[in-house]
Amino acid sequence: MKPSLRRIGLVAGREFLAAVTNKGFIIGLLIMPAVMAILIAVFPLVLNRNSPPVRGEVAVIDPTGQVAGSLRSALTPEAIVARRRESAARALQNTPAVVRDAASRPAAMERAVGAPPQLTITERPANADLQREKQWLTEPVATDGPRHLALIVVQPDAVVASAGRTEYGTYELFVPENIDDRIETELYDAIRESLVTARIRAHNMNRAEVEAVMRVRRATSVTVAVGAERETNLAFNRMLPFAFAALLVFGVLIGGQTLLTQTVEEKSNRVIEVLLSAVSPLELMAGKILGQMAVSMLVLAIYIGIGLFTLMSFAMIGLLDPILILYLVLFFLISYLLFAAVFSAVGAAVNEMREAQSLMTPIMLLLMAPWMFASVIGREPNSTFSVALSFIPPVNTFAMMIRLGSATPPPTWQVLATMVIGLAAAAAVTWFAAKIFKVGLLMHGKAPNMSTLMRWAREA
Amino acid sequence: MQPALELTNVRKTFGSTIAVEGMNLVVPRGALCGVIGPNGAGKTTCIRMIMSILFPDSGELSVLGRRSALEAKDRIGYLPEERGVYRKMKVGAFLSYMAQLKGVAAEDAASRVPRLLQDVGLPGVEGKRCEDLSKGMLQRVQFIGAIIHQPDLLILDEPFSGQDPVSVRILREHILKENRRGATVLLSTHVMANAEEMCQHVVMIHQGRKVLDEAMSGLRRQFDPRTIHFEPLEAHASPASLAGVLGVERVESMDGIYRITLLPGTDPASVMARLAAALAPARIELARLRLEDVFVRIVAEGPQGDAASKALRASVTEGALA
Repeated sequence: MKPSLRRIGLVAGREFLAAVTNKGFIIGLLIMPAVMAILIAVFPLVLNRNSPPVRGEVAVIDPTGQVAGSLRSALTPEAIVARRRESAARALQNTPAVVRDAASRPAAMERAVGAPPQLTITERPANADLQREKQWLTEPVATDGPRHLALIVVQPDAVVASAGRTEYGTYELFVPENIDDRIETELYDAIRESLVTARIRAHNMNRAEVEAVMRVRRATSVTVAVGAERETNLAFNRMLPFAFAALLVFGVLIGGQTLLTQTVEEKSNRVIEVLLSAVSPLELMAGKILGQMAVSMLVLAIYIGIGLFTLMSFAMIGLLDPILILYLVLFFLISYLLFAAVFSAVGAAVNEMREAQSLMTPIMLLLMAPWMFASVIGREPNSTFSVALSFIPPVNTFAMMIRLGSATPPPTWQVLATMVIGLAAAAAVTWFAAKIFKVGLLMHGKAPNMSTLMRWAREA
Repeated sequence: MQPALELTNVRKTFGSTIAVEGMNLVVPRGALCGVIGPNGAGKTTCIRMIMSILFPDSGELSVLGRRSALEAKDRIGYLPEERGVYRKMKVGAFLSYMAQLKGVAAEDAASRVPRLLQDVGLPGVEGKRCEDLSKGMLQRVQFIGAIIHQPDLLILDEPFSGQDPVSVRILREHILKENRRGATVLLSTHVMANAEEMCQHVVMIHQGRKVLDEAMSGLRRQFDPRTIHFEPLEAHASPASLAGVLGVERVESMDGIYRITLLPGTDPASVMARLAAALAPARIELARLRLEDVFVRIVAEGPQGDAASKALRASVTEGALA
C-alpha cells in the first residue's frame, strides 16, 4: 500500500493536539522560564535581604604617620560605595547601557554585594608590641559590639623608599578567622589607595595628573563580518553556543519523551491494533514523529521568541546573527529525526514505561554527551577534537551548533558535511527503527533487550 | 463474483510453534461466517493474517479481490480481540478520528457519530472522555469504530467477550443489520452458542487446522444417532421401564424429559419403536446436534485421543458459560 499523506497528517494532527492540550505539557512549557525568572529575580533578594552591615574595628600601626589618615577616609562607607561602583562599571563595560545603568544603581549594588561595612579605624603607636596587638584580634567581643576585624602594619619605608633603593616597602595585614572575603577585598583596595596617595604627596606630585598619565581606556573591539560590524560582546559570545546547544537538546527531549510515552500508552491501551486496521505501521510511525516534531517546534519557537524578546528589550538584538536561528532549526530537525525514530522504536518494543528505562539509558547518555564536551568545544571550536565530533553522529549536530555559536565559526563545507552526515545517519536509524517499530507494536509479554530488538530488525 | 475472502493453503509459524497450517477458506460476499474454536486454536492469527497485520509463511490470501487487506483497508471494518481506546480522548473525537483514517470526510463523520451512538443505546456520550465510560459502553463505541465507514467486509474477533447480556443483544442486532446492509461478516468466537444463533456458516479451527466448514442449515439437520429425547405422556411416569429396553445404555432425566443414550452400534429406529411400546410417549425424537457436540465429536475422532477431547470439552463448556 502506498503511504497516504492524508493518514499521516491525521495521525500527526491527533498526536499534536493530544500533546499540547495535556496539562503536563503546559506546566512543563512554563516551568523553565519560571525557574530562570526565579533565579534571576528572587534569588539575590533572598540571599542578601536583611543581612546587616558588618561593624568592626581596624587597628593600624603606621610608623610613617602618613597612611592612617587617608586610610580612615578611604574606609568610610561612602568611599567604599564609590569604589565598588567604579569597579562594577569596569566589569560591566561590555554589557549594554541598560544593564550597566541598572546594575550601577546603589540599591542594585547593595542587593548584589550587601551594605557597605561600618568600619572604625584605631591608630596604635608606632612602637606598639606586635604580638600583643595580634592577640587583640582573637579577643572575645560582645555579640552585638564591633568585631576586631584587622590589624594593618605599614612598613616604615612604605611611603618613602629607603636610601639607595627604588622599591618601596609595603604593609602586613593580620585578620582573625572567619573574616568575610568581601571585607578583606575592601581593605586591600583601601590600603592601596591610601599608600598611593601618600607616596604621590611625598613626591610633591599632583595625583590627578599622575592618574591622567596612567589612564588608557580600553577599547571595545568591533567584530568585522561580511557586510556588518557589531560590538564584540564577550559574555554574550561565551553564552551563545551553550544556549543553542541547550535549545537543541531540550527540543529533542520534549518531542522524544512524549513520543515514547504516547507509543507505550497506545500499546498498553491496546488501541494499537485498532489503529493498525486503518493505518500501516510506517504511516503511524511517520505521523507520530511529525506530530511530536510540531510540538517540539512550537516549544522551540516559544523559547526562541522569549530569547529574542529579551535581547530586544536590552537592545542586544544586533549581536545575534539571524542565520544561527536557521541553523538551529535545521540541526534540530536532523537530530530530532534521528532520536525520534529511536524513541518510537523503544516505545513500540516495550510493554510499559518501566521496561523502557533500561533501553533508554544508553540513548539518554548519547543525548547528554554533547553537554560533557560543550565547554571544550566552546573554548576550542576549531580544534581537531571539535571538528571530529562534528562529523560523528549523533553528537555531530550538537557539536556543530556549539561551534556555529562560538566566536570563530567553522568553514561552510564543515557545516554542510555535518548536515549530510546527520541526515544520512537519521535516515539509516529511521529505517532500522521502523523495522523494530513494526514488529514491536504487536508484541506483548517479556520485556525485550537489545539483542531481541536486533533480531526483530533482522526478521522484519 | 469473487469471494469476499479466500485463503489457500496458508501456514504461519511462530518460532517452533505452528499457529496455522493448511488453512483453506472461502467466504462468499454477503455471508455471515463464524470462526469457532477454543482459545489458542489459531483464530486470531488467521484474522491478523487476513488483516495483513501478520504475514503468512506460505500460502495465498485474497481479500475483497485484492492480494492484501492493505489494498482494501478503507473497505474493511475490524474489531480486534485486543482493542482499546485513547483514554483521554472524547468519544466523539475518537470515532471521528477512526472514521477519517478510514477515508470518511470529516463532515460525514461528524454527522454519523451521534446517529450511531444513538443506535447502540449511547445517546449523547460523544462529549464524554473514553475513560469515563463503562467497559460494556466502550465495547459498543469500539464496534461503531469498526462500522462507521460502512465497510464491505466486517471482521470481528471475539466481539462478545466480556460483554453483559444487554450489550451482547445490541451488538448482535447491529452485526445482523450490517450483514443485511450487504457487508460480509466474519466473526470469531469461542462461545459456540453465539455462532450457532447468528451465523449462516461456521468454520471450526482446532490446533491451527480447519476441522469443519459447513453451512449452519446443514448442521442443524444433523442428528445424534445415539441420543433420543423422550417426553412421556404422563408427566410422572417412572423411567425404570425405559432403562430395561434393549439397546439402551442409560437414561437421564431432565425436567420431565428423558435423555436416552443408546449402546454403540444400535439401530435408533428399532429402539424408538421399542421405547414407544414400553411407555406411552408425548414426543419421541432423535436429539439434534449442538455445535459444541459436533466440535467435541470431531476432536474426539481425531488422533489426539480421549484425554485431548476431555480437555477440549472442558474448555468449550467453560466458553459457553463465559
